[in-house]
Amino acid sequence: MHLTRFRLNTVRSGARRLLSSPQAMHAAVMSSFPDVLPSDTDTPRVLWRVDRNAKAEVFLYMVSPAEPDLTHMVEQAGWPTQPKWQTYDYTPFLSRLTKGDTWAFRLTANPVHSIRRKADEPTKLTAHVTPRHQMGWLLQRQEAAGFRVMEKAPEQRRLPEGDEYQLVVHDRRGRTFDKSERESRGKKTVSLVTATFDGRLEVTDPKALRRTLTTGLGRAKAYGCGLMTLAPVG
Amino acid sequence: MSVLALLLAGPLQAWGASARFARRTTEHAPTKSGVIGLLAAAQGRERTADLADLAGLRFGVRVDQPGTRIRDYQTAKHFDTGKSMPVSERFYLADAVFVAAVEGDDTLIDDLHRAVQAPVYLPYLGRRSCPPARRVDIGVHRDQSLEQVLADQEWRAAGWYQRSRKRESTVPLTTFVDATPGDSRNDSVRDLPLSFDPLHRRYALRGVRTDTVDVPNPKARRSAPPDHNPTILLGGD
Repeated sequence: MHLTRFRLNTVRSGARRLLSSPQAMHAAVMSSFPDVLPSDTDTPRVLWRVDRNAKAEVFLYMVSPAEPDLTHMVEQAGWPTQPKWQTYDYTPFLSRLTKGDTWAFRLTANPVHSIRRKADEPTKLTAHVTPRHQMGWLLQRQEAAGFRVMEKAPEQRRLPEGDEYQLVVHDRRGRTFDKSERESRGKKTVSLVTATFDGRLEVTDPKALRRTLTTGLGRAKAYGCGLMTLAPVG
Repeated sequence: MSVLALLLAGPLQAWGASARFARRTTEHAPTKSGVIGLLAAAQGRERTADLADLAGLRFGVRVDQPGTRIRDYQTAKHFDTGKSMPVSERFYLADAVFVAAVEGDDTLIDDLHRAVQAPVYLPYLGRRSCPPARRVDIGVHRDQSLEQVLADQEWRAAGWYQRSRKRESTVPLTTFVDATPGDSRNDSVRDLPLSFDPLHRRYALRGVRTDTVDVPNPKARRSAPPDHNPTILLGGD
């Protein structure tokens, strides 16, 4: 597995086109692999995420089985005179994960649930929109995903309820974009609610966590959701 | 000893201490004479009544939202004779919020508390044309000093004002409290009411100590998300 980081030059129109449409970004990401074919869901796949750290510091992270070639992205949305992206070998780190480790993590996800409003209605996929429900969505999946979000010490909690975990939700956005850029095909609009989680976790099941890190968590993985990355606890 | 806290907020307020004749100025914060007048009116005392017990209360005020000073140019004609009255300038504080507090013995404070909840003459903020916009009474505090009550009260400024200072998680607020004999630095204002008799109003000098208290800002921006760089683990920067 490989982890790749690419910095976007946000003043270029190409970068703006990619950042405004997850559909376009997905196409650009997939174009960096000459050999990738559509595969079933339980094997490692290409995952990506955009981290907007500041207005002019926007990174694209990718986790992929093969090494990508981002030359076309550099030409459209990077700095062509200083072509730069870094690809790191991810496998040694993944195999080093052990139970009980603590890491800082970041995850951008599409938290949804299936509900019905009336008894005789078919269920419908519905987005979680409040930070509280979005946190609940992640906490519900943590066990199967191989980690546990760490709890806050009681004296650090700022609310009597709802502030039990070392977890923040930020960059919550609802986006709509067109699936097809061409008018002739008939525009299909996609709407998506995404949220970015930042927090600390403890590894409970290294194998499951490895699967989470390489196959993603939740839905809309083609649209920049589901990629979780780890960093040292700072 | 107990403390009665009052919330003085309204579209307009006017608190004159040195205002005379046709130029009616306002201080930047409520005056002791103004607040004592409000309490005496709530109790239903007449203008000529004795004020010694109220003037003996310790008084302090906190500036929660300073507001803007505005000037009004006012003309008037005499109702009977039609003669022009002197042109007067009136100054107001617009959109200001203050927390005022008086400290005294329990029975007097309880009596004042009841009076503020069911006032005989309606309270106004320094001038009859300035009604309060919110409930004036914000409670009695037992066994606490005046300074402590002013420091512990939550920030009462308007939501838009709190948001405008969202970069500050705690906000310093200015307080003006009655000086005690030991205070080295204080200002004196002719603001201690001796009589509100309309024929002969009398005020004595009052020492004022200026201080600040820090209160938390409920609208402060949440802390920024932490930096996250997964490449550190893999030998990157």
